[in-house]
Amino acid sequence: MGENKALNFQSLRKDFFGKYTNLLTFVVLVLILSALTQGRSMQVDSVRNLLIAESVRAFAALGVGMIIISWGIDLSIGYVVCLTASVAASFAQTAGYSGALYPGVVFPFWVPIVAGIAVGGLFGLFNGLLIAYGKLPPFIATLGSLSLARGLQLIYTKAAVIGSLKDTFKGISQGNVGLVPNLAIYVAVAVAIVWIVLRHTRFGTNIYAVGGNSQAARVSGVNVEMTLVRVYFFAGLLYGIAGVLQASRLGLANALTANGMELDAIAAVTVGGISQTGGVGTVSGMIIGVLIMGIINYGMTYLNIDSYYQLLMKGAIIIGAVYFDMRKHARKL
Amino acid sequence: MSDEYILEIEGIRKQFPGVLALDDVSLKIRSGKVHALMGENGAGKSTLMKCLFGMYHPDAGRIIFEGKEHHFQNAKHALDTGISMIHQELSNVPKRTVSQNMWLGREPLTRLGLINHRKMQIDTAALMKDLDLDVSPASLMESLSISKQQSCEIAKAVSYNARVVVMDEPTSSLTEKETEHLFKIINDLRSRGVAIIYISHKMSEIFRIADEVSVMRDGKMVGSYMAAELNENSLISLMVGRVTTQRFPTVESRPGEVRLSVKGLTSSSPKSFKDVSFDLRASEILGIGGLVGAQRTELVESIFGLRGLSAGTISINGKEVKIRSSKDAIANGIAMITEDRRKSGIFPLLSITMNTAMAALGGYQTKMGFLKHKAIRAKAKELNESLRTKTPTMGTQIRNLSGGNQQKVIVSRWLMTMPDILIMDEPTRGIDVGAKYEIYTIMADLAKQGKSIIMVSSEMPELIGMSHRIMVLCNGRHTGTLEKAEATQESIMRLAATFS
Repeated sequence: MGENKALNFQSLRKDFFGKYTNLLTFVVLVLILSALTQGRSMQVDSVRNLLIAESVRAFAALGVGMIIISWGIDLSIGYVVCLTASVAASFAQTAGYSGALYPGVVFPFWVPIVAGIAVGGLFGLFNGLLIAYGKLPPFIATLGSLSLARGLQLIYTKAAVIGSLKDTFKGISQGNVGLVPNLAIYVAVAVAIVWIVLRHTRFGTNIYAVGGNSQAARVSGVNVEMTLVRVYFFAGLLYGIAGVLQASRLGLANALTANGMELDAIAAVTVGGISQTGGVGTVSGMIIGVLIMGIINYGMTYLNIDSYYQLLMKGAIIIGAVYFDMRKHARKL
Repeated sequence: MSDEYILEIEGIRKQFPGVLALDDVSLKIRSGKVHALMGENGAGKSTLMKCLFGMYHPDAGRIIFEGKEHHFQNAKHALDTGISMIHQELSNVPKRTVSQNMWLGREPLTRLGLINHRKMQIDTAALMKDLDLDVSPASLMESLSISKQQSCEIAKAVSYNARVVVMDEPTSSLTEKETEHLFKIINDLRSRGVAIIYISHKMSEIFRIADEVSVMRDGKMVGSYMAAELNENSLISLMVGRVTTQRFPTVESRPGEVRLSVKGLTSSSPKSFKDVSFDLRASEILGIGGLVGAQRTELVESIFGLRGLSAGTISINGKEVKIRSSKDAIANGIAMITEDRRKSGIFPLLSITMNTAMAALGGYQTKMGFLKHKAIRAKAKELNESLRTKTPTMGTQIRNLSGGNQQKVIVSRWLMTMPDILIMDEPTRGIDVGAKYEIYTIMADLAKQGKSIIMVSSEMPELIGMSHRIMVLCNGRHTGTLEKAEATQESIMRLAATFS
């Protein structure tokens, strides 16, 4: 009897830590950083900066998180976001700016937003069709689109900086509501939508089914191909939003915009427990993963650690997170 | 010599959190004998074998091989010492040749330190000849039949000079002819003094091949017997711990109106089935028998829309229907329990609830397209309770359930779609004796409720025990249909081997 109780308690404790490891990691990191900086790093302004910096990445993470649940991967994120940012920026340049891509033309407020999101959606659709119906491995399909997006961006912008953006466009992401940055609100809305999709719609359930066992999904009447196309399309829309917000936040777009964002996003969701084995993962995991990576970046910057070392850190974190994920699942399967 | 124990497993105890998986288990194996290890799934057979091969470390007990105590670290270590295991799922490298697989990890080298391909080929050929196996050393592993691949594994064990060979369900994917060939090899090994531990659920095989039988139940060794002392019924009672009078429940339902009518069905793949016609009635269980390669699975999966058709019609309740995908089939009231539960049945990481609901989600959405989680949970729970799925909670991941309980979840999944026609492909494969009976009872109940069932099965007793009629395929052709009264193993076999 006593043994039983102890066992239950043990498994309860294991469950708790299993479920909240990510959240605990985040809290511990925050505490460590606060201690190292005697609390200075955790003032309101600093926290706002952290949120702003991570917001755009959060969109990419939500997109690739869904893709990884479907047992896919997307390497094209960085350059697709770069392209969508450039397209959006090109329609938001001030009328008087002589170096504009469309000099003298004033586009309505919504044009850059819709254009950026549309380009993202098209790339997602393209990836999805290649993977679902072309039967290309996601790794290769998105590696191809990575290069396509990069080429298109350079051709479209003639490798120039797209700057001098209208204040109204910059206002999209640079404003605040009270103390809360606009960007944080957009992320909250996106998180809510992705949560609803994954948890409360048939489409979301089908993503888990396809990622967990695509053959069983097919037998159960799930249209596997259509589900995959929709996942990549949905992710593409999120990349489009990320691009628009990035251009708006920085007030420009160039060939370096969003460089390496695929690494950041994949690292974040992996740390957040989205398993490479497919069929596993939650929205809260994705967001906590983004925050963990964010606090690490922010902390290292705050502590004046060279950004080159941040790259080493990121690589180590991805490898470490996947290593533990694989051990966990290898043992159970 | 043959009365000496070559392998003694003594007092093995293995505790997992919350479960005592092995409780003081002992097993003694003689050279030159076939020793069957029997028990329901979960009785502890595989745990015991894992302890033997060092994949688990027992908490207590000893393993004595050829008079010396051993603690094997892994399967390779055991193999080097002289104990080999032929797994149910073959573990070879499909894209490499037979000889490359044979010497994998211990390739003979030339004086220059390069791989000696010639020696590998010659040695493999000699080994095959010695065992009277018709396998060319240069063929790619994947080009061989399952049976030949298995022979290669046995040859590999012999090449390691294994004195004890463990075979885990070796005939599960073999045809009768291939099984015969395997028995020949086993007899040959036996006459060379090799001890064989033979794990199988198939009673008939045990009585044909085994000299001794050990039975495990609930982590304990029930006892070891000479095979001649036992018969099928006494063995089953030892395994389940109670006296079983019947292996099959009485199927009370009487077939009614024709529900499904298939005419001239021909696969789009030229090597598959051709011109198959049959009717399925309400409340009827129609068995489909045949040898491996008879295209039974291909036929039923085509009816379910998972494979292509080039000719023929499918009518339900007298109306012709077009089924192009599983979605169409489900919409037409057809359900499909596939043959390979792990490959195309379960979603291992999802909960029992989601596994149950997966095929029926379309009926549980609000007008806005949101899922009705509460209704889904309630229905999934109700169905699993009615089928007596044993699970800690409905949120438990399905991979943590036994095969029989997983199968009940899959049946629940399809009942949730409210089908009229259930296709069950090998419904009791990999399920232990007790759970089998429960699945049979569920089938009989469903038929009584008016459902029509197509059951594809490789087990003759199951076909005969459960079906109203048995349709037999051979090589993709419908060679005959037997009424329950005329169905015997012989009459089925005759039709199953009517190659035309």
